[in-house]
Amino acid sequence: MSCLIVQSDKTLLLEVGHELADECRRAIAPFAELERAPEHVHTYRVTPLALWNARAAGHDAEQVIDAFITYSRFPVPHSLLVDITETMDRYGRLRLHAHPAHGLVLQALDRAVLEEVVRAKKIKGMLGERVEPDTVVVHPSERGNLKQALLKLGWPAEDLAGYVDGEAHAIDLAEGDWELRGYQREAADSFHAGGSGVVVLPCGAGKTIVGAAAMSLVKATTLILVTNTVSVHQWRGELLRRTTLTEDEIGEYSGTRKEIRPVTIATYQVMAARRKGVHSHLELFGARDWGLVIYDEVHLLPAPIFRMTAELQARRRLGLTATLVREDGREGDVFSLIGPKRYDAPWKEMENQGWIAPADCVEVRVNLSDAERLAYATAEPEDRYRFCASSAAKISVVQELIRRHEGEQTLIIGSYIDQLDELGAALDAPVIKGETRVKERERLFDAFRSGELSTLVVSKVANFSIDLPEAGVAIQVSGSFGSRQEEAQRLGRLLRPKSDSRTARFYAVVARDTIDQEFAAHRQRFLAEQGYAYRIADADDVLDEL
Amino acid sequence: MIDAEAERNTRGRPPTFTSWLRNLTDTELAALFAARPDLISPVPADIAALAARAAAKPAVLRVLDRLDRFSLQILEGLVALGDDRLAGPPGVEPGALAAALGLPVDRLDPALATLCRTALVWEDGKHLRPVAVLRDIIPHPAGLGPPLRVLLGALPADRLNRLATDLGLVAGYAEGSPAERIAAALSRPERIDALLDSAGADAGPVIHRLVWGPPHGTVSEAARDIDTASAASPIERLLARGLLVPIDGSTVALPLEVGLHLRGGLLFQHVAATAPELSGTERTPTAITRASAGQAFTAIRSVEELLEHWADDPPSVLRNGGLGTRDLRRAARELDTDEAGTALFIETAHAAGLIAADGDVDGEWLPTPDYDLWRETTPERRWLRLAEAWLRSTRVAALNGSKDARGRSRAVLSDGLDRRSAPEVRLDVLRALAAAPEGLAPAPESIADHLAWQRPRRQGPTYSELVDAALREAAALGLTGRGALAPHARALLDELDEQDAPVADREEARSAAVLAGELPQPADRILVQADLTAIAPGPLVPELARELALAADVESTGGATVYRFTSASIRRALDAGRGAADLTALLERHSSTPLPQPLRYLISDVGRRHGRLRVGTASSYLRCEEPALLDELVSDRRAADLALFRLAPTVVASRSTRPVLLERLTDLGYHPVAEAADGAVQISRPDPRRAEGRSVSRHIGEPAPPGPKLRAAAIRAIRAGDAAATAVRRPIPAPDAEPPRSPTAATLSALTAAVARGRSVWIGYLDTDGRASSRIVEPASVDGGYLTAYDATRAAVHRFAVHRITGVADLDSGQEPTTTAEQTAGDPPGAAGF
Repeated sequence: MSCLIVQSDKTLLLEVGHELADECRRAIAPFAELERAPEHVHTYRVTPLALWNARAAGHDAEQVIDAFITYSRFPVPHSLLVDITETMDRYGRLRLHAHPAHGLVLQALDRAVLEEVVRAKKIKGMLGERVEPDTVVVHPSERGNLKQALLKLGWPAEDLAGYVDGEAHAIDLAEGDWELRGYQREAADSFHAGGSGVVVLPCGAGKTIVGAAAMSLVKATTLILVTNTVSVHQWRGELLRRTTLTEDEIGEYSGTRKEIRPVTIATYQVMAARRKGVHSHLELFGARDWGLVIYDEVHLLPAPIFRMTAELQARRRLGLTATLVREDGREGDVFSLIGPKRYDAPWKEMENQGWIAPADCVEVRVNLSDAERLAYATAEPEDRYRFCASSAAKISVVQELIRRHEGEQTLIIGSYIDQLDELGAALDAPVIKGETRVKERERLFDAFRSGELSTLVVSKVANFSIDLPEAGVAIQVSGSFGSRQEEAQRLGRLLRPKSDSRTARFYAVVARDTIDQEFAAHRQRFLAEQGYAYRIADADDVLDEL
Repeated sequence: MIDAEAERNTRGRPPTFTSWLRNLTDTELAALFAARPDLISPVPADIAALAARAAAKPAVLRVLDRLDRFSLQILEGLVALGDDRLAGPPGVEPGALAAALGLPVDRLDPALATLCRTALVWEDGKHLRPVAVLRDIIPHPAGLGPPLRVLLGALPADRLNRLATDLGLVAGYAEGSPAERIAAALSRPERIDALLDSAGADAGPVIHRLVWGPPHGTVSEAARDIDTASAASPIERLLARGLLVPIDGSTVALPLEVGLHLRGGLLFQHVAATAPELSGTERTPTAITRASAGQAFTAIRSVEELLEHWADDPPSVLRNGGLGTRDLRRAARELDTDEAGTALFIETAHAAGLIAADGDVDGEWLPTPDYDLWRETTPERRWLRLAEAWLRSTRVAALNGSKDARGRSRAVLSDGLDRRSAPEVRLDVLRALAAAPEGLAPAPESIADHLAWQRPRRQGPTYSELVDAALREAAALGLTGRGALAPHARALLDELDEQDAPVADREEARSAAVLAGELPQPADRILVQADLTAIAPGPLVPELARELALAADVESTGGATVYRFTSASIRRALDAGRGAADLTALLERHSSTPLPQPLRYLISDVGRRHGRLRVGTASSYLRCEEPALLDELVSDRRAADLALFRLAPTVVASRSTRPVLLERLTDLGYHPVAEAADGAVQISRPDPRRAEGRSVSRHIGEPAPPGPKLRAAAIRAIRAGDAAATAVRRPIPAPDAEPPRSPTAATLSALTAAVARGRSVWIGYLDTDGRASSRIVEPASVDGGYLTAYDATRAAVHRFAVHRITGVADLDSGQEPTTTAEQTAGDPPGAAGF
């Protein structure tokens, strides 16, 4: 009896309590994506992309089959093994090379595949002359598009055409009061060895530092693309602290500032912005001879950036993300345009090693008053969520929770400004919302970080990439419907390791028997799948239980 | 068969195929029928009929198709050397055959035994003789031409005379046929060598081109008249010496005797005495067993899953009887597999009788009642049933989607997928795999080579296609794993023919026993997790599986089953009558870990809200503004049969229909008025549907092999028929005397008496032309002016018109026509004294 069960939909179930579980996890991690990690049985999925990622990392089908046969509890169906072998075999039959005479070429190890591919309608325009029976010239500008199209045909090409070095720039890590963690070094090294690709690390595991380490390895001018302005500042701060870069060397390219320096940090928003139907900031990509492009939060990368990235295939690219799963299903584009997965560390494992803080999630259910229930039942459909989410009953519960966690840094997170303002007033705490100026935001965040301020009420502006390491308690009073992404990001706020390695607390206050509760269930499913067992408590019992 | 015995049995007549057959023991006949079941369907009347059938071309071709290359070579050798047109006694001695094949005689024994057992070859004393029709089937055995006698016999007389003269023999017909003489002379090896020498050095290469066959060459004016003197070219010199013989104007043939001598007495350059070695990849036995068992489990699970889907939502039957492409695609999606695999599972389930078209006008494919029985058996038995059904089925799922002759695409479950040879090819393939050493996964090319030796006469694109399909399907059903035959499939092959009954119906099946150890056995433990999923780490006992399927949605299947609890799924369980507390208790009982708190909350949340509104069924209702009137009605005894139910002070519901209620209330003296009624609500889930009839698998092609019992019965029947035909029923000459005469009334009574006593009588009969004849008959019945009787003088049953019978006379016991044919009838008895 071993610990792995193979399902017919190519999911793998790993029984974590089993003595061989760790060994098995290591064996299957290269070719299977962790999908769910609840307490007893983790679910991995074997997708063609995952198999090709494994091939790109140098694993072969026999290894995969070996892992199945060694760890599988039940006999593995023959058809599945055949399918895996065939899928893996498709990677690398076509290769992109830099040919000494013809420049960029597509070379086939299997002529039949080349014949199939050159006849495909979508690909015709990207290929040039057939210089040898097995070799076709590729227009250099089509390198990315070709890879994308080949992946769609099911013949992912191995890109061996190499990279331009870019404009050299001395960047070193300024280690002294801190040290690069083992996994961060591994992640940066395996990226550098591969040339381009994606590093998957959970929130709070120090993805920024992996970026910095990668820059110190490439030692060239770098373009960093991040999700928003606050994030730009954070990256900038981190780079100044962790590397030898000085203020003058780092430029900010955002809505307000347009600086181009050896290291430039830009937001997706400004890059994707269009004026009169034209992407007016595209020139940034060509503004310097960038040696490295870093994409923060790859899973959020908008479509226009993908298009631009297709033209950047000769530059080294590093993607950083907490998850390869994209809600829009464009995982294939990440694979073909940014690169295969280069490093992956499971969330729970990092927690066990103490790199991210453990968290305890509690759903607190409040009862609506009879008057509120009647009002809720008669509310317009579009207002129903807002109505139940901002129930007055929640305020007293929040007050009680804060009282119980006195002395801890507490964030109160919500979506509705009225509700946040009310809470701010009731708790006598400052509120950060969309209209709060960036300066003011940063002042408040600084105060919170330093401990001057123990309670902060924030709207969804704080969802992404704001580093509040000392936040130990978060109370979510309302969310934007049921986004799993949001829940992860909010939890992520809490996961920075605490100075005293406390357990973080995450409360979600929801109104019973309303859609608030349904949305909460949806979001919590994600948490449970990430292995955060959550409890449910009645508001009335909060005092006794917690 | 011992020579002397054969002599005695045939009473000195030359031995024939028929007499050889007659002298076979019952065991040998049984073996013949087992190998050639077509010979006894229908059962032939006697041995002569059996012999005719066994030597008929189609029947012989059928056996040839099943012979391997070596047996065919031996058979060709027998046809060539045992040609009865050659000089000497007909047939070949095994020793001579072995020498001509260049093998020790014992190497031939197994193949010769098979050839004799299948009655392609029979024993004439020490000689083996092929059945005559083989000469037509194999015109150039071993690439040799016809014997000299045949070739020479066809030449014109003057040409023969000249040839005889050239060879220094007597010409003309004075001392027998010149052809015979020339043939005898040319058959002698030293004569051939001498003639070849005299034909000149340049004739050697010419004749050698024909030596290893084909034994024909094309020459212009082959039939020209030449002699040794006029012969100029090498061909002419060969023709003039009779080393080549013209067959027609443009063809010359190398006579068998000459060809064989020039080959040095050998029949073949290469004798394929053994099948080519199988080669391929080495696999560990564990890998093979595990992969095949996994696939076997997948197959039974997929069939079950599919049929569960079809029970709820059956696909419709196409007009041509098949299953629509869209339904197939949907099924493939539901099973997480490809269409080819799904088509195979569907066809196999059909062959196993688990699905059938429902008899309705717009037919649907539904599981049969057998499916319910199948589901109750153990997993290994379920597999066995499927695997055996596939092995014996004539349907080839792999043909699904291919185009037929008219360009229409063939559909699953339609007639287009029938291939009569499919079961045989499947067995061929599995036996070829079984021939590989354990742990070897033979490469497809190697299997093809092996089968080309095993079934040389079957080769062709159709056969290869069926072989490929069989290999793929065997893998998909778990008969092979990683390309090698699985241990359980090996066991199945071994026990397949041990008994008549299908293996799946036998009490003991070794294949099932072997597989049982590898399949996951049902358990009753599950793991419940905080993300509201429950995982059954293996198959569950049926009862728990049913309960879980009710209370949770199945998210993925395979080795394990993942269930997800949602408020809708829990509501479904509550609707089906489970209580929230029961559900929690059930999960607690079977969960190997503590039940997560969110799941308890979910169940109690749904339970709390469940049933706050209640829905009932009533066929009609009564409304009345005066509660007093309703009080009166409800307590009225006469209305008890209406099953009235008070819902509210002014509302009464009834199970009776509105017309009934109206009528009865009117009878009772109330004056009800009809009101527009609301419909009733159905809340229970309908039961899974099943087809009415049983599945009838279509069988075409080869008659099913008869079992030992049937074979024994066939032997008894043929022996009896034969005894009747040979020993008893030979025509008996009627007495020479005048046919008896008797008055019509006496005739009738005498015949009736003879029928009653079962005695033979002598009758005089006027045939249709009015000629008087004398017959000895065994009357069977007299009825309607006709006598039905066995006519011993004609050895056949006849109907005689009574008015044409001129007279009847008793035969005395010594002249009972039950005596043997050699015993001639004695003097005619005196006419009865009428």
